[in-house]
Formats: sequence, C-alpha cells, structure tokens
Amino acid sequence: MTLESVARKDFRDALRSRWLLGLTLFFALLIGGSAALFYGVLLSGAGANSETLFGLTTAPGGLFNFSYAGMLGFVLALIALVTAHGSLIDERESGTIKLLLSLPNSRRDVVFGKLVGRTLVVIISMLVGFIVALFAMLFTGGQVMFVSYAGQVALSGLLATAFVSIGVWLSATSASQRQALFGTVGLYFIFAVLWSTVATGVPRLVNWVIEQLGLTALTAPQIVQMRLFIKYLNPLRAYETLVAELYGPAVAARLFKAGLAERFAIESTFAESLPFYFTGPFILAILLAWIVVPPLLGYRAFEKTDL
Amino acid sequence: MAAIELNGVTKRFEDDEGLFDSLLPSSDADAVTAVDNLSFSVAEGEVFGFLGPNGAGKSTTINMLLDFVRPTSGSVRVLGHDAQAESVAVRRRTGVLPEGYDVYDRLTGREHVEFAIESKEADDDPDELLSRVGLDPDEADRRVGGYSKGMSQRLALAMALAGSPDLLVLDEPSSGLDPAGAREMRDIVRTEADRGATVFFSSHVLGQVEAVCDRVGIMRDGRLIAEDSIRGLRSRIETDSVLRIDVDGDADLDAVRALAGVSSVESDGGRLVVGCTDDAKSRVIEAVEAGGATVADFETDSASLEDIFLAYTEGDDSADEPEVTA
Repeated sequence: MTLESVARKDFRDALRSRWLLGLTLFFALLIGGSAALFYGVLLSGAGANSETLFGLTTAPGGLFNFSYAGMLGFVLALIALVTAHGSLIDERESGTIKLLLSLPNSRRDVVFGKLVGRTLVVIISMLVGFIVALFAMLFTGGQVMFVSYAGQVALSGLLATAFVSIGVWLSATSASQRQALFGTVGLYFIFAVLWSTVATGVPRLVNWVIEQLGLTALTAPQIVQMRLFIKYLNPLRAYETLVAELYGPAVAARLFKAGLAERFAIESTFAESLPFYFTGPFILAILLAWIVVPPLLGYRAFEKTDL
Repeated sequence: MAAIELNGVTKRFEDDEGLFDSLLPSSDADAVTAVDNLSFSVAEGEVFGFLGPNGAGKSTTINMLLDFVRPTSGSVRVLGHDAQAESVAVRRRTGVLPEGYDVYDRLTGREHVEFAIESKEADDDPDELLSRVGLDPDEADRRVGGYSKGMSQRLALAMALAGSPDLLVLDEPSSGLDPAGAREMRDIVRTEADRGATVFFSSHVLGQVEAVCDRVGIMRDGRLIAEDSIRGLRSRIETDSVLRIDVDGDADLDAVRALAGVSSVESDGGRLVVGCTDDAKSRVIEAVEAGGATVADFETDSASLEDIFLAYTEGDDSADEPEVTA
C-alpha cells in the first residue's frame, strides 16, 4: 500500500521538522491553557461545567454572542491551511516529487497520502490540546459533559480535516509556491471575513433582479433563509452551528449569532418545523463535502500536470 | 520485446502556466517543441547511451518514459506497458535516477532507501544497497540535508537499484560525482547490465557513455540525429578532440606523443591534456598505463561532442531544422 508509505513518510517529515511538536505545544497552550485559566482561575470553585467555556455565550436578547467553537474554528482553519498548502507544490518546486514518483507511487497515492499525513499532524496536535483541557477541567473541579465534549472534539477534527483538504487542493492546483500562498491567504480571508458579506449580499442581489423583472419580491423569511443557507455553506460556520447543537436545540443553534430582526422573521417558522436543509445531518453533510470534494478536484488537476 | 519503444512522439510545452504569464500577450512563440516526432527503441538487455547538449530534449524524453510529462502525440511503451496509462506498473520494474530531483533533507540516507524498498515491495537489505553505491553506515544514518551533491546522487542511485529493476533509467548519472565516483557509477551500470537489466542513460559528455554503452542515440533540437554503436559513431568522425587524463604516477609522455593520431601532449602535474583523433583515445590511455602510470579518470573535452553534432549535421538541409532555441 504505497498511499500508506507516502503518508508515513510525510508524517515522519513533520515530526523531524518539529512542526508537529510546535503545533502540539500551541494547541496545549491554546485549548488546555484557556481551560486551565477559565476553570482554575476565573471560575475557581464556582462549580462550572464544560459548557460554560466550550458552549455558547449569549447575552439576553442576543445582543452579545460568543462561541469558543467560533474562535477555535478560525485558529484550526488557519493552522490546517498553513500545514497543508505546501504539501505538493513544495515537493514540486524542490524536485523531491521526482524522487517520490520515480518509485511505484501513483499520483493518487501522493495526493491522498499527503492528505492523510498532514491531517494526522493537525488532528494529533489538536487532540493533545483537548486532552490537556479535559484534565485541566477535572483537576479544577469543573464538571465535564463527556458526550458533548467528545462531540466537540470530533467536529473539530472534521473541521481541521476539511481545511487540510482545502490546503491540499490549493497545493495540487498551484503552479508555484507563491500562487499556493496567495490562494491560501485569499481563501482564508473569504471564509473568515468576506463570507458574511456574500451571504448578506446574494439575497439582496437576487431580490433586486426579481424586482427588475417585475416579479414578486422575496419575503423577509425567505431572505433570511437564503442568507443562513449561504452562511452554512462555509465550513467554519457549519462547524460552529453543529457545535452549538451539542449544547442546545437545533433551532437555537441555527439562529446563533442571528440579529434580532432575523430572529423575529424566522424563529417561529423554524420552531414549527426546521427545513431539512437546516437540519444537523444536512449541515454535517456540507462539512463532510468540504473534506471529500477538494482533494478530488486537486487530484484531477494534479493528475494532468506536467511536473 | 523492446524495453523502450517510442513511436512518433512529440512534446510541445504550451507556456501557459502561472498567473503572470497569462497577463502577457501570448503567441505561438510561447510554445516550445521539446521533442519532435521521435521514434526509436531500446532492446531488452541493451545499454543505451542517450546523448545530446543541454536543452536537446533528453530529459523531456526520459520524463515521458516515467509519466512525469505527457506526450502531445505519439505512443511511449516501456517494458511492454503504456508509459502513461500503466505508469505504476512501469515504475515497479524500473529504477530511476531522475534529473532535477531533490532529496528529503530531514530524512536519513537509510530511510530514503527503506522508503524505496517499501514502495517497490522488495526485500533488499538497505545497508547492502548503500554500500554498493559507496555510502558507509555512518553517512547512511545522517540526515541527508548535510549531504554533498555527489552523496545525494549516490543515494538516489541506491534507491534506483532497490528491487533489482529490469530497466534502469539514469538521467545524467555522473553529474555531481568526482572522477572516482563517475567510474564507480560506470561499474555499477556494467554490473546491472551483466545481471540482464536494460540500462538507458543520458549524458552530455561522450566520455561517460562510450565506456559502457552498446549503442548511443544523439538528440539535437528534439530530434534523434544519430543512432549507432560507439564504434560506428567513432569511425564516422575524424575530428580532433581533447582528452584529459588524471594519472597517478609518471606517464611516459614521449610514448604517447609517438602514437598515431596524437597531435599534442601537455602535462600539468597529475593531469595530461592530449590532443588526438577520437579513435586514438583508447591507444593513448593504453600507452599511459603501459608506461607504468595509472589512469584515475579521463574525460574528453565536451567540445568534442559539439564536433560530433557538427559532423552529423553538416550538409543537412537547414530548412527542415526546427526553429526552436529554448
């Protein structure tokens, strides 16, 4: 199985470069450290449970929203992209890919072997962070809600994998390291910053077109639904709302971070019945699609490339 | 069955990669024909030297054998397999020393060889392969980031030898090697050929191929302009060339001067520079060794290869020369 040997070699390389060690320390400090600080110092002896930090923080009336998952998602996505964006193009630019492909490894083995190797690097370091956080909670008297905590760890792993997939796709389709870097920065910017503008803008644009055509404009609930749907196509947002669902009902999770006006427009409709394209399984399928589709596209491009 | 068979193979590189290039106005001049309607075959068990100046299309041809690049048209078959559709099957039975490769700086030499053995599902002893190419165990346990170009080249050769391949494809195998290393390389090529392997290797230095090859092909501007045995090739060329010989001990210069075909002899410490016809070269070497000195290594001036090209292309109709300079 040469996919496996490619993955193993790649993982060993990350081990040697101390990238894995660095990431592990980083996540231990970020996830473990924040848990230790939160439960050990800030809420010392207050009898908090794991939801207090890892769940949602919503001020009354939805005026203030914060989710740990949202913050962690930004970090995980960035780390995963940084880890994966050079996976193939670095080897092409240095020439090590010729050594790799002189051996009986197919290009498929190389693309998916890289995907596996880099995913393991991010997930293992992330897992250490969550384990440190778990012990921090146990030692400081915080109650751990094991089921939702495990679910959160699993979803974080899926999000990390999705962004490694996106990074491998960028790496496979880029013609130079610079292109891969620009692509990474650009995509991260789109997912982390620009997406909400797009999600808000598209329904407005659609409405404008409809008005120009003289048809019936979209209703407020329809606009909100469209906006939410586009929002959850973003793996970062899909991840955040799935984590939110671990700590509360689906409707609240879908409307987390929604504005007051939006809540009024749609909450009653959602409460009656949540459309299937806003159910947990559907959002999970979106997240999984981000894991499966990018490497396939990357492989298709890489397959045709002259090295 | 032929080990390598190319039929009407053409490779054009359309220079359309990269954002920057796409902003520039494009024209037909952007496309480069690296290999132009190339057909030849190499028999099983043959040692074939693939000669030509840099940019002649040698590496592109080799890259098509390995499916690193895909032919624009024509068919490439290696060991009975289609080089593109069945590339993994080809590489399972082929040892490759590619051009323009790099090693994994953070892995040790032994790990490289183990990776090659594992990928080929072979059962070689890594230490044995490493010692065959002249890397001792101490060096093998070091990370290859500290290797010299020559050591990297030896390591890549060890990886190529893993799994006793039926075909060895070596692209400029002597580059980066010192004279002693180049000779060891030739010895290994001979040993592999004696084992029954087909060897296909490229060089831009004639001296490196003539000692081991059964047959050579000469590429120029993407075309094969000559295909012959070394003897046949030599007999068709009577141009003077320069032979540089590294000797241990004192050579009998007068004896060398007295040989037929030798026009000049100069000695510079341990190095002899002999101007002679091509067919006199082996006599010169013999005379040096007969005089009690040992030949550590020798090379012909690369200009002699240029002379061969001129000899082969003189009188050709220049109108059908491809207009390619890249």
